[in-house]
Amino acid sequence: MSTNTSQTPAERLRDAGLYAPGDAVLSVRDLNVRFNSENGVVHAVRGVDFDLMPGKTLGIVGESGSGKSVTSMAVMGLLPETADITGSVRFKGKELLGLSDKAMCKHRGSDIAMVFQDPLSSLTPVYTVGHQIIEALTVHNPTMSKQAKEARAVDLLRMVGIPSPKDRLKAFPHEFSGGMRQRVMIAIAIANDPRVLIADEPTTALDVTIQAQVLEVLHTAQEETGAAVVMITHDLGVVAGMADDIMVMYAGKPVETGTVEDIYYNPRMPYTLGLLGAVPRVDTSGKQSLVPIEGTPPNLALPVTGCSFAARCPMVSDACLHGEPELFPVPGVEGQTLGHKAACIKADQLSGDADAHKIFQAPPKPVSKFDGVARAERAKVLELKDVKKHFPLLKGALIKRRIGTVKAVDGLSFDIREGECVSIVGESGCGKTTTLLEIMEFHPDQVGEVVIGGVSNKVATDHKTKMAMRKEMQMVFQDPTGALDPRFTVYEVLAEPLENLGMPKAAIKKRIMELMKLVGLQPDHVNRFPNQFSGGQRQRIGIARALAVNPKLVVLDEPVSALDVSVQAGVINLLDKLRAELGLSYLMVAHDLSVVRHISDRVAVMYLGKIVETGDVDDVFDHPRHPYTRALLSAIPVPDPALERTRERIILQGDLPSPLDAPKGCNFATRCPVFAALPAAKQEKCLTLEPPLASEKEGTQDFACFFPDGEIDSDMLVVHA
Amino acid sequence: MTNIIDPIAEIDEARVGDQDVVIGKSRIIFRRFMRNRTAVAGLFIFLALFLFSIFGGFLTSWDKDTLDPLNIGMPPSPDHLLGTTQAGIDLMALIVDGTRTSILIGLIVGGVSVLISAVYGCTMAFFGGKVDATMLFILEALIMMPAILVVAVATSGSGGLKDLPSWLLLVVVLLFFSWMGTARLVRSLSMSLMQRDYVKAAKYMGVPSRRIVWRHLVPNIGSLLVLDFTRGITGAILAEVAFSFIGIGIKLPDVSLGVLIGQATGQVSSFPWMFWVPLTVMFLLTGSLAMMNDGLRDAFDPSSSSIGRAKTKTAKAAK
Amino acid sequence: MLKYLMKRSGIYLIMIFLTTSAGYFLAVSSLKPAVLEQEKIPRPTPEQVAASFRGLGLDPELNPWERYVQWLGGIVTRWDWGRSPNGAFVNAEFADRVMVSTRLFIASIILTLVIGVALGVYSAARQYKVQDRVITSYSYLVHILPAPIAYFLVQLGAIGINEAVGQRIFFVTGISTPGIEPGWPAFVDLVAHYAVPTFAMTIFGWAGYQIAQRQYLLDNVNADFVRTARAKGLTRNQAIRKHALRVSFIPVAQSIAFTIPAIFTGGFFAEAIFAWPGIGLWSIQAISLQDVNVATATLAYGSVIFAIGAILADFATTLVDPRVRVQ
Ligand SMILES: Nc1ncnc2c1ncn2[C@@H]1O[C@H](COP(=O)(O)OP(=O)(O)OP(=O)(O)O)[C@@H](O)[C@H]1O
Ligand code: SF4
Ligand code: SF4
Ligand SMILES: [Mg+2]
Repeated sequence: MSTNTSQTPAERLRDAGLYAPGDAVLSVRDLNVRFNSENGVVHAVRGVDFDLMPGKTLGIVGESGSGKSVTSMAVMGLLPETADITGSVRFKGKELLGLSDKAMCKHRGSDIAMVFQDPLSSLTPVYTVGHQIIEALTVHNPTMSKQAKEARAVDLLRMVGIPSPKDRLKAFPHEFSGGMRQRVMIAIAIANDPRVLIADEPTTALDVTIQAQVLEVLHTAQEETGAAVVMITHDLGVVAGMADDIMVMYAGKPVETGTVEDIYYNPRMPYTLGLLGAVPRVDTSGKQSLVPIEGTPPNLALPVTGCSFAARCPMVSDACLHGEPELFPVPGVEGQTLGHKAACIKADQLSGDADAHKIFQAPPKPVSKFDGVARAERAKVLELKDVKKHFPLLKGALIKRRIGTVKAVDGLSFDIREGECVSIVGESGCGKTTTLLEIMEFHPDQVGEVVIGGVSNKVATDHKTKMAMRKEMQMVFQDPTGALDPRFTVYEVLAEPLENLGMPKAAIKKRIMELMKLVGLQPDHVNRFPNQFSGGQRQRIGIARALAVNPKLVVLDEPVSALDVSVQAGVINLLDKLRAELGLSYLMVAHDLSVVRHISDRVAVMYLGKIVETGDVDDVFDHPRHPYTRALLSAIPVPDPALERTRERIILQGDLPSPLDAPKGCNFATRCPVFAALPAAKQEKCLTLEPPLASEKEGTQDFACFFPDGEIDSDMLVVHA
Repeated sequence: MTNIIDPIAEIDEARVGDQDVVIGKSRIIFRRFMRNRTAVAGLFIFLALFLFSIFGGFLTSWDKDTLDPLNIGMPPSPDHLLGTTQAGIDLMALIVDGTRTSILIGLIVGGVSVLISAVYGCTMAFFGGKVDATMLFILEALIMMPAILVVAVATSGSGGLKDLPSWLLLVVVLLFFSWMGTARLVRSLSMSLMQRDYVKAAKYMGVPSRRIVWRHLVPNIGSLLVLDFTRGITGAILAEVAFSFIGIGIKLPDVSLGVLIGQATGQVSSFPWMFWVPLTVMFLLTGSLAMMNDGLRDAFDPSSSSIGRAKTKTAKAAK
Repeated sequence: MLKYLMKRSGIYLIMIFLTTSAGYFLAVSSLKPAVLEQEKIPRPTPEQVAASFRGLGLDPELNPWERYVQWLGGIVTRWDWGRSPNGAFVNAEFADRVMVSTRLFIASIILTLVIGVALGVYSAARQYKVQDRVITSYSYLVHILPAPIAYFLVQLGAIGINEAVGQRIFFVTGISTPGIEPGWPAFVDLVAHYAVPTFAMTIFGWAGYQIAQRQYLLDNVNADFVRTARAKGLTRNQAIRKHALRVSFIPVAQSIAFTIPAIFTGGFFAEAIFAWPGIGLWSIQAISLQDVNVATATLAYGSVIFAIGAILADFATTLVDPRVRVQ
């Protein structure tokens, strides 16, 4: 083993080739990709090795920029010509690297197929869906008859779960939702029964419910074709149930590989350990803070001298800085196909019971002075009474005519007490953002009443009341980059709200220094521009700006969804800390239910502009009553392979219906898994009456359903055995 | 999780590591501009012509109103470096004057029209609704008017504008027609800027609208405006030449490059220098501006092709 | 679709009305035909001039508003666009002029378009190679060359050829030789007159299309859907040809329609340089002859062409882009 360090890449290649089991469909050896950029050569992928066995699934996990996509594109031969690729990629023993574009085309789409991340832009807008599927068939089967191709296309669409596939062949991509387009992408990918299917973050752009559907389709596709799958993701939950093997990448290099169990239950690399501790879990209450991994990944344009994780590693020592650690087999594990390997010189110090919280020095869960006070005794900082927002629905790209009304927010009432965090969850399009905007606008002409800190919007007609309200409530945005004017230094960003209050210069300066410290940024960085900070730091600046005027309530619009898991944990911990220390209240909108469970006290589940279930977060998450909440929760994958494999999940059919077709009775009836299993007599009730939002017995949990805890239709229930 | 890499940010990122030197974006832009050799050459040519148009009079002892009866229609000679016209006027003196007029027209039209379009476009975007619709209607109606007719009517007419010198009249008319396209661009750009979260953030802080426009909108459309300024100069110079060439732009006694070129068309074969010299000057002028414009666009645009150039450089170095 | 077209046409009608009216006021207050009449020999008395103009509906003593009403009344009631100071009827000459302009432009419009788009695609496919650099540099060069000068240079070239051959092959001005016998000689004469202006307008016209098409195609070459097509097994070139190209036509189709009015203005320079008695030249002559009605009529024509272009642009977009198809 110790000789390995002195081997040249060529020798390692040969050795690796010897060890590669002959029956791998795809073998990658010492793959290196370099790009020339303005700042020098970016070494994006540095020595990736893996073998993919027939019918198996390999998960590649890593944070943004770790080289996952570049690896997959290199395998597909889709990188730009300017990329410098070395190493070996063999499909069934045949070398693919170095093939001409034309020679590679024989393999692309027939032997190896790929599904990309963004379904919205991955289909050509000017061709019908059918045309694009048939094209994939034509390329590899030039002799196939037209009818045969059409029949196959219909089959494929049916297989990926598109209703009335025959008619849908003639639809254009823009007539499909994101989830349906991703299904089409999968249909195209499996059209020629590929042996290898590469999916690059196939569900990242989708809602959780749709993600569950698409993952299910991928599962079916794999079963039908028997293809081996490479599943690329940043979400440790997504691959836990699907993958057989996992490769964790960091800074362009695999840092730990092994079976799912190895990785999830016995991580031997501090980075993997940190990642696992950094993700909040939807199935356990968040009474422990998350594991933050401070810092940012190294710049790949600079030469690597030591362990690439050293700058962020809590276990770093001098030895780590001399030479990059190789991927060595972890002692004590023998005989597995891939072998459990980790690139860390201290791998053996991390045994199965290593505690990430201790190693990464996660802060203790902070306690707010309000936590001891009963909810009813705390003052209300925000109250919504029957707030509505209806938009006219216009149709036609050129002539707009009104064809109906979208009830984006339809009679919302809830309140937020001092010191608590209330979250609104739901699929995209259910009215979360509109609710926030209605609150932020704070306009007297709104339908319904918004009361902030005792001031009602009905009386907020003059500038002074409005300003007073603006001091009470501030907002943090989803995209930390877009929320900061690129031309402002951090000082200017933070000074803006303070100047607006007419604070004197000296006081502003003092306050800004305080704020920087509060959110964990170095005070002497104030005269930098936003683009000189990482995403997580930018979000901290956004938080500091919101806190500048000492508000009581902070509105958080998806505060961490644009951040990488490792960075996300730090920001969530910060939010937790600030809530406790400053006695803040939060109103948060998030689609990631794990994050919601971790930081909120109460949750409201929205569907088509209405709250369908609300209550204390632990009550709702542990005992969901409404079928929609149940489906939503079961759609979230958890980073625990054993649990994921055996878990029952409810797969909702179809997308969020168009607000126009909202049924008369319960508006969830069209997709409701309980409704589908009801006898016709009981269904009548759901279809004619609107279930009120109420609690069953004395309790904090309200829901709007006639048949809580009802039996789920078996068609919508899936268990992978 | 997407990788949005701003190369400008990347340059800085490299620096953030070791020392705390804050480099303004303007400095980076300047640096990128200076790295573009074509653009710098353009800048130099333009500056040289600009100086020539002001101090060029010292290169010749003649002025444009004096006839040299001994040298009528003479090709370039030591006495008259660029030759004389068939009336015996020193061509160098004429060209110095003509260049000055052309540059003046370009600068005024380019500058003022950028101002008008910025104000008009921002107003439309900011108020939106009815104001926007009305102003857009006016804008489109103006675009519909064939500019040339209005130029002709205004410069030939006997209306109130008649007392203006013909070059100033042309400036007014060109101005009238040069700002609409940019105004539309500014409008759509500001509309998208208004949707940015940082503008919303300012709004939700209670920052007054006026301040938002001034602090957030105007600086962010700056690069568009700078680019449009150089483009506007070129456009105005070209328009002047075109209109004067066919005799409806600048009228004697004012001299411009267009007038000089136009006058010489009748005798290209007998007095070629009278045609080619002003034409060359015009080319240098518009060409240098185009070269600069190219460099400015590269400097402002983080995703520009200057990456392509860096690549070829490193590729060569590798060999 | 029909309803939509009607609505758009309605809006443009209003715009045409407004621009034409504004043009009329501009013309009527700055053009004074009487000044020219004074220079005639024998010099007429001002009373005679006024009387003769009154007969033509050009009464200089009325104020602009009165004249506008009179002029508009003529158009609305009799579709009569008025008369020139020399007594000619605008309506009579209009059709001939439009014919001449259209005949002059039609060939070059089509050629420009085809060549420009083709070169755009070609140069995009060879981005940064020599061919691309040459083609694109040429297009940028054309941008800094004023049209009339460019035409004039072509004229010089044609004269050069004529001289070199020692025989007049090309006509550099004019529309046809008077009194030519019909049949083959007339055709040869036609070609000899057409060749130079069409050539000039084409080679200086395609630059815009070339640059636009190149840019749009390059924007799409690395699009996600091209990558999808390649992942299916199409080669890079096939993927670009079948997918990127089609999508890149969408903005080009739009711009094509919008450039029609630009050709009208550009064509004005061509008519002036090549001495074709078209609409453009007419408008300029009208101004030097202080002819209010002709100037306004040509302006109205320009606005109509613009409106047609804009409506065509919408139409073209719906044709090529399924996303904006109206049910
Ligand atoms: N065409 C390119 N030119 C230059 N650098 C590139 C190019 N493509 C990718 N890179 C760089 O390669 C590195 C790895 O990128 P890659 O896209 O593989 O990351 P990833 O792991 O897929 O991240 P994400 O989760 O954001 O998709 C990044 O630093 C990226 O900036
Ligand atoms: S090698 Fe050292 S720095 Fe790298 S992960 Fe292991 S302990 Fe940390
Ligand atoms: S009321 Fe009926 S349709 Fe609505 S959620 Fe409950 S069971 Fe489903
Ligand atoms: Mg990626």
